[in-house]
Amino acid sequence: MKLQRLRVEQLRQFREPFVLDNLQPGLNLIHGPNESGKSTLVRAIRAAFFERYRSKSVQDLSPWGDSGAAPTVDLQFEHQNTRWHLVKSFLKRTRCDLTVGNATFSEDDAEEQVAELLGYEYSKKGGSKAAHWGIPGLLWVEQGTGQEIEQSVEFAGDHLKSALTSLVGEVASSGGDAVIDKVAAERAVLLTKTGQPTGELRQVAEAREEQQAAVAQLQERVDHYQEQVDRLESVAEEHQRYQQERPWEAAQQQLDTAKRNLAEAERLEAEQRQESETLQRIEQQHQMASRALLQLQRADEQLAERDRERQQAGQALQAAESQGPGVVAELRAATQAFQAADGQLKAARMQENRSRLLRDQSRLAERQRSLTASLDKAREYQALVAAAREQAVRNRIETAAVAGLKNTERALREERIRSQAVATRLSWDLQPQAHLLLEDQALSGQGEQQLLDAARLVIPDIGTITVSPGGEDLAATRRKLVSLEQRFDSELAELGVGSVDLAEQRKAAFDAAERQRKHAEELLRSVAPSGVPALEAELADIVGELEALSQQIEALPKSDSEQQIAPLVEAEARLAHAETQLKAAEQRQRQHQSALLMAEQTRDAAQREWQRLHDDTHSDKRQAERAELQARLTQLQAEMTQKQGSLAERRVKIEQARPDILRQDIDRYQKTITHLQQAQEAREREIREARVRLEAWGAEGLEEQLNETRAAWEQSERRYQELSRRAKALDLLLTLLTEQRQELTRRLQAPLQKHLDHYVSLLFPQAKLEVDEQLQPGRFSRGTELGHVAELSFGAREQMGLISRLAYADLLREADRPTLIILDDTLVHSDQARLDNMKRILFDAANRHQILLFTCHPEKWQDLGVPPMDLQRLKQQGGVVV
Amino acid sequence: MPRFLHTADWQMGRTYSRFEPEDSAALVEARFQAIETLAQLATERQCDAVLVAGDVFDAQTVSDRTIRRVFNATSGFAGPWVMLSGNHDAALVESVWTRAQRLGAVPENVHLALQPGVITLETQGLAVLCAPLTQRHTYGDLTEPFTQYQTPEHLVRVGLAHGGVQGLLAEGIDATNPIAEDRAQTAQLDYLALGDWHGTREINPRTWYSGTPEPERFRNNDAGNALIVSIEGPGDAPQVEVVETARYQWQQWRLSLAVESDLEQLIGRLEALPPATVLDLRLSGEITLAGEDRLNQALSIAEARFRSVRCDRSELQLAPTEDDIAALHADGYLGTVIDALRERQEGEDGESARDALAILASLLKDDNREVQP
Repeated sequence: MKLQRLRVEQLRQFREPFVLDNLQPGLNLIHGPNESGKSTLVRAIRAAFFERYRSKSVQDLSPWGDSGAAPTVDLQFEHQNTRWHLVKSFLKRTRCDLTVGNATFSEDDAEEQVAELLGYEYSKKGGSKAAHWGIPGLLWVEQGTGQEIEQSVEFAGDHLKSALTSLVGEVASSGGDAVIDKVAAERAVLLTKTGQPTGELRQVAEAREEQQAAVAQLQERVDHYQEQVDRLESVAEEHQRYQQERPWEAAQQQLDTAKRNLAEAERLEAEQRQESETLQRIEQQHQMASRALLQLQRADEQLAERDRERQQAGQALQAAESQGPGVVAELRAATQAFQAADGQLKAARMQENRSRLLRDQSRLAERQRSLTASLDKAREYQALVAAAREQAVRNRIETAAVAGLKNTERALREERIRSQAVATRLSWDLQPQAHLLLEDQALSGQGEQQLLDAARLVIPDIGTITVSPGGEDLAATRRKLVSLEQRFDSELAELGVGSVDLAEQRKAAFDAAERQRKHAEELLRSVAPSGVPALEAELADIVGELEALSQQIEALPKSDSEQQIAPLVEAEARLAHAETQLKAAEQRQRQHQSALLMAEQTRDAAQREWQRLHDDTHSDKRQAERAELQARLTQLQAEMTQKQGSLAERRVKIEQARPDILRQDIDRYQKTITHLQQAQEAREREIREARVRLEAWGAEGLEEQLNETRAAWEQSERRYQELSRRAKALDLLLTLLTEQRQELTRRLQAPLQKHLDHYVSLLFPQAKLEVDEQLQPGRFSRGTELGHVAELSFGAREQMGLISRLAYADLLREADRPTLIILDDTLVHSDQARLDNMKRILFDAANRHQILLFTCHPEKWQDLGVPPMDLQRLKQQGGVVV
Repeated sequence: MPRFLHTADWQMGRTYSRFEPEDSAALVEARFQAIETLAQLATERQCDAVLVAGDVFDAQTVSDRTIRRVFNATSGFAGPWVMLSGNHDAALVESVWTRAQRLGAVPENVHLALQPGVITLETQGLAVLCAPLTQRHTYGDLTEPFTQYQTPEHLVRVGLAHGGVQGLLAEGIDATNPIAEDRAQTAQLDYLALGDWHGTREINPRTWYSGTPEPERFRNNDAGNALIVSIEGPGDAPQVEVVETARYQWQQWRLSLAVESDLEQLIGRLEALPPATVLDLRLSGEITLAGEDRLNQALSIAEARFRSVRCDRSELQLAPTEDDIAALHADGYLGTVIDALRERQEGEDGESARDALAILASLLKDDNREVQP
């Protein structure tokens, strides 16, 4: 298809007719600045094709403010050597005329012809939308939409496919996709995407499992019921059999027999016990009789013993009596020795006391002497202290006051020196007669005075000169001096001295008196630490004590100088020894007395014992008793022998009867009876319980329930089988349909891919862009880079979009479909290198298609090898290109 | 001249799992009606007694309601009923019979033969020698004691038993509960009324199986009858009349479709069946798409007419003709898919392929219907 001429009138800014003529079969570069009408021309072409001539939704075509306009587009193009001429007027004058070769069409017919040729649809209502644009929508790229190809391809889908179908000579199923959708929908009712059961299939599957479980449960209960019935039957039968046989009665008989045998054995055992007790008693009696006899024999031996004891006691008494006189003599001698020692001790003690008193007396006299000397000294030192204290009182002066005085004196002296330094010195050397009066003080001869105050110097006959010392210092000095002098004088007066030297002297005298006093006090303390009165008191005490001692000594008897008096210690030792001797003699005397008494008593007791035993043993009664015991022993022995024999005999009988085993038998038979009866009772109970239970279960109608449940289960099972069969069939069908459709698509993809490869290799030598099932540009790979077109940069997507469109155009051309490519300011986002490549691509494509390229950047496209058309210039020329 | 009605194998409490719930309920109901029919028949034909030769109940633990309904259904005949316990309702220590007695559901005119022995119906001139099953299965001949039983000479001697006559019946009958073929002769019975075999069958002139009064399975063995037996007097030959009592006919057809006329014939047979039919159809062979349409239509009509129609077409292959496919307008890859499915019908997954083909065909037909008018 080649657009040859475009004429517009009353259309937006083209109020006057504008003609774009002489369009070339290949590239056409139409440029002009913004708002020069490029987009209007593009809009005019679109309107001519897409908009219904009678559409009311094309108000935008009218020139601004001109509601009475009839926008008109006049297009001439050639396709497959046939000339087409389309004139369309909108709004005020709605008209559509088409000439194809020699044929003419008008109105709707004309529009249908054009739509059929280009492959698009009209909007049923309102303005045309992208969804209707079909193939032109893909090949005519509006400003800024070059990168959005996906939807354009989708809208062009059917037209593209029909073009492709004619190429590959394959019949794409006319209703195939609808069938696939239906099958998929039917399948979705039963299966999920992943092939899991859903909807009714799942419900039925679940229901059937539940019912199966219910059947199993009911079956189990039925089986259990039947088991119980069988059990009841067998128990009832057993019960009846036992009721007839009554095995517990036989056991009862055996029990009775065993009990009788045991009673017999027990009787023997009792007898045995009794008899052995009797034997025991006899044995005890035998023992007692033997013991009694033995005792009688022992009494004779005792009598001899007693006789021996009686004689020994008599001898002991005699021996004791013989010791008596010796003991008495010893006691007497000891008493005399003790009295002598006692007398000596008393004398020694008196002597001792006297000599002690004499020693005290001499010690006290010595002390009296010493104290008298100390007292004299103390009185002397006391007088010294008093003298020193008196001296100190006389010379008392404050040490601090003296120091203060000295300080004041020093300050005064210093201040005087200072005042002399600053004072106005008035020196004079007068004529001998001459004299002056200075402040009423006459001056004469030579002299000097320092003036601290203004002074009037009166020179007689001459006048008065007033000397005023300058400076404030002088006045201050003077004031300070006076103050110091006053203080010095007052301090002297306070101390009561005439001068500093006197004060110093008085202070020295005071200090000396103080030292004297302290020394005297020190001495006094050394002789009378507690003071003189204490010393005097102590002396008085000693005098008293001495007097008392003298009286005591006088009172003591004079000692007998002839008599040798032993020392006290020795006398005491002697007395202690004599006392010990005396005590021992007394002890021995007491012991002798008691031994004598004891011997007498022992001798008397032994005599009595012997006498009693002797009388007893020799009595007739004792003789008779002995004889009787002998006879009894013999008899008891005989009885024992007899009993032992009888016991041994009976023991054999008892052992043969085995009462322990008999008791076990009885226990066994009793238990047997109990068990048999209990078992029978248990049977009765079980029968009763089973009947009750079975009645209850029977009332539930278990087997009927089971049958019903099983019927429901089988029903579900059948339904499940039907549904799953259907699901399987739908699955198979969908798989096959999808596979076949994909297979077809793959065959359709090939030619498109070929063209796409051609352009991609021009843009990126190593790259590949794959067409997907929807015939969309999909996977893009460049070296190791791999991704989807949609992931590329805006510029790259725009480039890919354009080459995809060119590929579609190639495809359409092969299918003899019209291909007009309109690009409105495209590739504005491409860099120079890419743009160069794209120019090569466009130039290449222009060999096969007519391309209208509108731009406001003519400088970018000047190397396209075609003469640019300047829209601005064309408009000035009335739009006619010659 | 005593006359009695001989029936057996009521199998009350049975359910029909293979049918739709609605049909199943109707078939269950028909069995209760059968008892009423029997009672009515006995009254109309002035029978002296009704003898039921076992398996009155299908199971021991049927619901109380079923028990009551069974005995209620006998009310149409006021004469004596003798009901024998069979293998399904054996007189165990605890059984459906003890339950019925506990429920107080057994009318006075119904005699339960739960223990071996003779039930004497003096007024009716009958001595009924009973061999009830007291266990689920027995391996000895329970009719053996009949030879020992003494009955008054003026009474007609009738045996009542449940089991398989030895050596006569086809396989599939339990080997348990055997009955000697010549029992009527050895026990000097005027008639031996048997149950267990669900079809009506004469063993010898004095020994009969009555069969079940209402069929309950697809087995062409002449089920659905009752016997009216008349005996002039002791020792006389019995007159046995077979009376049809069934409400529903149970039909089971196994057909192979090969040519067009096979389908025609099938449709003709379907049309000839009475409405009270329970039909089980299993088809094999091949059918065209057009033929399948016709078959579907005929079955749809039959389903509406009959009590129950079940049709198993798992072995019937779809064989679309060129015309069929042309009619489907299956161009492009749809045609390829149809071809693939046709081939696959022969293979391992044939069933799915066949179903898939049917689904596809129906979708395309729907499509065409949408388009064409």
